[in-house]
Amino acid sequence: MTDTGHIVSAYDRDLDAIQALIMKMGGLVEEAVVNAAKALETRDEELARAVREGDKAIDALEEQINEEAAKVIALRAPMGSDLRAILTVMKISGNLERCGDYAKNLGKRTSVLVQMQPPEGAASAIRRMAREVELMLKDVLDAYLQRDEGLAEEVRQRDHEVDQMYNALFREFLTFMMEDPRNITSCMHLHFIAKNIERMGDHVTSIADQVIYLTTGVMPDESRPKGDRTPYIAR
Amino acid sequence: MADTSLEIAEAAQQDPEAAIKIKSRGVQVYYADNHAIIDVDVDILDKTVTAFIGPSGCGKSTFLRCLNRMNDTIDVARVEGTITLDGEDIYDPAVDPVQLRAKVGMVFQKPNPFPKSIYDNVAYGPKIHGLARNRAELDEIVERALRRGAIWDEVKDRLHAPGTGLSGGQQQRLCIARAIATEPEVLLMDEPCSALDPIATAQVEDLIDELRQNYSVVIVTHSMQQAARVSQKTAFFHLGNLVEYGDTEQIFTNPRDSRTESYITGRIG
Repeated sequence: MTDTGHIVSAYDRDLDAIQALIMKMGGLVEEAVVNAAKALETRDEELARAVREGDKAIDALEEQINEEAAKVIALRAPMGSDLRAILTVMKISGNLERCGDYAKNLGKRTSVLVQMQPPEGAASAIRRMAREVELMLKDVLDAYLQRDEGLAEEVRQRDHEVDQMYNALFREFLTFMMEDPRNITSCMHLHFIAKNIERMGDHVTSIADQVIYLTTGVMPDESRPKGDRTPYIAR
Repeated sequence: MADTSLEIAEAAQQDPEAAIKIKSRGVQVYYADNHAIIDVDVDILDKTVTAFIGPSGCGKSTFLRCLNRMNDTIDVARVEGTITLDGEDIYDPAVDPVQLRAKVGMVFQKPNPFPKSIYDNVAYGPKIHGLARNRAELDEIVERALRRGAIWDEVKDRLHAPGTGLSGGQQQRLCIARAIATEPEVLLMDEPCSALDPIATAQVEDLIDELRQNYSVVIVTHSMQQAARVSQKTAFFHLGNLVEYGDTEQIFTNPRDSRTESYITGRIG
């Protein structure tokens, strides 16, 4: 994990194994996000079901990571950067697990939405938003693997764009619902989907915070642009 | 009206020198031609546990022994630079090393009780320093020291049994009681737990935490877990240099020097 290995080489193998589990988990979550958005856009109930069922594997990985992390704490008493590696692994796996849950929820709502006619263009807007979050997730996992705090900081800043996409969708759904009350059911589901993707962005941002803590030893401050304005929208 | 005591307390907080017990500047130690300690500057704080860590031969014990002039007893050892205790130079020719060591007590790696009774082990220091006027006072000093050494309950019924008959952990706590019987201001501990089992170690660590209320404690330890548990400040020595000195929490979670990082994480440094 750093240039020189531990005197006890099994320690390096333990840490590397945990890191590999995080990357595997991250890969599964990325795939779940992409597929959930695709299932929504293409009204593919089969794919939505696969996303829902795939969440089990993500949850199992989180559990496995926590067990391995607990083992390293108990057996090796990690210090310095090793301690930070273990602390961040536990948080990152928690964040990834939440993202997996949101993807699963997308899959559930998609199964309902295929039975109705949602407003034109909403699904593709959501897909663009999901695509952005998925790219952020991919970059933050790269930043984690490369110990690149610059890239992590960039990901933190990009969450602003996701927030703005969510704001726009929020207003759009409000308009659809006011235009025609028959849109309410589908727009409520679509709104929760958009909100869930926005929350995934927050979890990815939190992973970026962890990467910065891991590499620098200092948690970044809160000075990043916050874009979710919907709590103040009254109409 | 101004509250004078508050003002004094505030002044003490503003003056960072106020809490410094021992100050070393440019300290060098040579064993004949071997330069064992290189230019060490450090401020040891009062009522604080300071841990010295580092690989074998890094100079941490040598530096510890400078703080009460134990190196005086080694013919080939030469100490340069200044070390002050409460602002007074401890290497001043006018300072009596025996008086100094009453103020700066020491506990060693191996428990080394005198081949005398438990009572006499503790009473010896107060007697030679004339701290008790009569037997009753001496009894009181011995009891207080044994209580603070967290061993009174185990030995109160056999105070006149030989100290060497105790278990290793008890002997070490007896030695700590002996060291604090003279009411020192600073307590130096050179790997005090390395010969003890985990339970005795926990008792000694608990005691160290207790001693912090009244003393400045400096502990040399090979156990990083122990340094992390008992100390508030940690100094990392490497090849005779003081590489890094800071809050224990910072040293063990986010050390600034890569050599400290390599050492505490168990990498080849």
